[in-house]
Amino acid sequence: MSVQPAALRRAPEREWLPLLAPGILGLAAVTLFPGLYLLWMSTQGLQVQAPGGFVGLDNFRLLLRSPGFREALVTTLIFVTASTAISLGLGLALALALTEPLRGRGLMRTLLTLPLIVPPVVAGFAWKFLFSSDVGVIGAFLLPRLGIGVAPLGTPRLAMAAVVVADIWSKTSFMFLILLAGLQAIPPFLYEAARIDGAGFWTTLRLITLPLLRGVLVVALILRVLDALNTFDVIFVMTQGGPGTATQTLTILGWKIGFTYFDLGQAAALAVFMMLLTVAAASALIQRTRDAV
Amino acid sequence: MSHDEGIGEAHGGKITRRTFLKVGAGVAGALAGVSTAHRWPAIALQRTKTVRVIAFAQGFAWPELFGPKGTERTEALRALEREVGATIQIEWGDELAVRQKVLTDLMSRTGRYDVVLLGSDGAVQTYGYAGLLEDLERWMRRSPSKYVSLKDIYPKYLEANRVDGVLYGLPYYSFGPGLMYRRDIFRRYGLTPPRTTQQLEATLRTLKERFQQEKVDMFPLTMRGAPGEEPSLDLLGFVYAYAGYPAWFEGGPRTAAEIRRRKAKPIFTGDFKPGFTAFVTLLRNYGSPAASTHTWVDMLNLWDQGKAAVMLPSAINAYPARLTSKIPEVRTESRLAPSPIGPSGKMIQSFWTFSLGLSRFSRNKEEAWQTLAYLTGKKAMEEFSRRTRFPWVTMPSLMYSPTLVETWGREELKVWEDAILKSDPFYFPYFPELNEFMDKIGTAASRAIAGAKIDDVLADLQTFALERMFRAGYYR
Repeated sequence: MSVQPAALRRAPEREWLPLLAPGILGLAAVTLFPGLYLLWMSTQGLQVQAPGGFVGLDNFRLLLRSPGFREALVTTLIFVTASTAISLGLGLALALALTEPLRGRGLMRTLLTLPLIVPPVVAGFAWKFLFSSDVGVIGAFLLPRLGIGVAPLGTPRLAMAAVVVADIWSKTSFMFLILLAGLQAIPPFLYEAARIDGAGFWTTLRLITLPLLRGVLVVALILRVLDALNTFDVIFVMTQGGPGTATQTLTILGWKIGFTYFDLGQAAALAVFMMLLTVAAASALIQRTRDAV
Repeated sequence: MSHDEGIGEAHGGKITRRTFLKVGAGVAGALAGVSTAHRWPAIALQRTKTVRVIAFAQGFAWPELFGPKGTERTEALRALEREVGATIQIEWGDELAVRQKVLTDLMSRTGRYDVVLLGSDGAVQTYGYAGLLEDLERWMRRSPSKYVSLKDIYPKYLEANRVDGVLYGLPYYSFGPGLMYRRDIFRRYGLTPPRTTQQLEATLRTLKERFQQEKVDMFPLTMRGAPGEEPSLDLLGFVYAYAGYPAWFEGGPRTAAEIRRRKAKPIFTGDFKPGFTAFVTLLRNYGSPAASTHTWVDMLNLWDQGKAAVMLPSAINAYPARLTSKIPEVRTESRLAPSPIGPSGKMIQSFWTFSLGLSRFSRNKEEAWQTLAYLTGKKAMEEFSRRTRFPWVTMPSLMYSPTLVETWGREELKVWEDAILKSDPFYFPYFPELNEFMDKIGTAASRAIAGAKIDDVLADLQTFALERMFRAGYYR
């Protein structure tokens, strides 16, 4: 018999407060304070060359007006859409394939989760070398033999495709794991009943799998969108946002504004914008699929 | 059991709130003790003064102090600490990470680092104008060091570290422009090192044709074109050689005060264009297809693998390969020639110093200054050239040392030295926004090399520059 819950139930709320206080303070220290500090920074003139005090919304105004920001926003949206859609689709396909009782399923599952333990920076380097048109297996050997004589990382559109490929490789495992767990939670008797009724793969997928997996899919989608929005490491290592600004997403731009243009105030404004964008994206996804989650 | 006395029961015994708090405090104390135990010796050390240095090139810079791995505490380091009267700690990092740490430290005025890494391509200027660095000549007068004397150093390397006449940095290793070429390949095709940009174009064209005919897996040229500030150092050398002056602003002002006084507007679509176009066109036509993402590391790698016949104007990037490449011809047949002369009669530039400065917020300035003096002084430079065998020394008295003469030959060292003496460190203007401009120009070059129209790229650059200079108040 557990005595503690009953005793805790008896404790009035004010008795809980001292016990909860360290947790609340810890949470405030690691989330609330940095958030508020960032907000404060975004309203300050924190440029090395011309430090000033309170500048109101000037940093936001300058940021939103700059062509670099608009371009980076579009690049981010392309990257997020492509990477999320493909990694989610691929993760689902793999999860569906490996739910079936195939030979070597365990080994395949293990292999598929391997990219999860590779740090994105390492993944970025690996893909950079693979795509290199000077020494890479893909860039220097495979593509030229297929009659494609361009440098993947030196051509704007291909560079975007290359970073998306690297990101998909790095993140699909996570999607796969989440969706596999979701698939395994679906009661097998539903599939058996469907089979007896003569339902094929697509009918089963449409009428049983996807409706019952919807909640998990939404969670996976939200996590993936947020992750893609904040991707920095893979892109930075592979292209540094280039060639030119072809793969310069908002995170790369933020880093540049802060550490190359020496304007920490405007970099903070961009970070606040990204925070709002992230919250908006998550809220919109939750709102649209509320009944599923 | 009342609420006041206990919050629960386990194994028949009461756990009182007081006991709970005592246990909690005990555990927290023990955890804090354990987590800081490894720092106790450091805490004891901090009673003495500490000079913190931050730099990159671990294992390569100051090997006599920090060993070949950069982590040792050698006898030489201990001796220097005794002399300086402080513990010297060095923090290494990747160049970008170090730059970021220096920025945040100087911006937040915490003085965590006493001796900071700078660079003559933006940091010296930005931090110097912002008043975040100490005037080093003042320190030299106040507290002379036996290790460093300005008379020992090539004046051009010092000029590069002055902002409005004030010396904010002292150079450790540095370089001027040059053209590295493969003598064996030039000989095979009957070529000689090009003296002018016109000859350069002709030479590269010949190399390209011959490589295609003979199916040689080499690029005629390697230069860097990655987005960011890096290619600007070389690209601006072309702009200077074609225009004959640092063609950024009307009339070619070289300082913030001059720009302000003349209200000089940017001319990125004017005199800046020929040099920019030449740089981009050469890379498009004769460089690697991935040149728009290449940094100095890629230049070095291409040279190391014997995949490039010419490297310019930052020929420095070929030196490591010349000592360690697995391809014998790279080691024995790489040669240095003077940087070609542009249509203006001036040489293509590329000039940089690995400089160290003294933070204005250092708490131990005297000790930090003495440390900096050693780190950029003659003894350190001597050790650097003896151990690395690179000719990137900052002092004429060390240029023809036995080690360097034996490794590179007197003739090549003369070419290297001439490049320093004939350089113009002010081939780009010195003003507080330099870093931002360097990044924008380098990124514009990357965009153009990757195929964007040069006119469009330069028009965007001009728009940015005008807006930025107006915003910074230059034309009020």
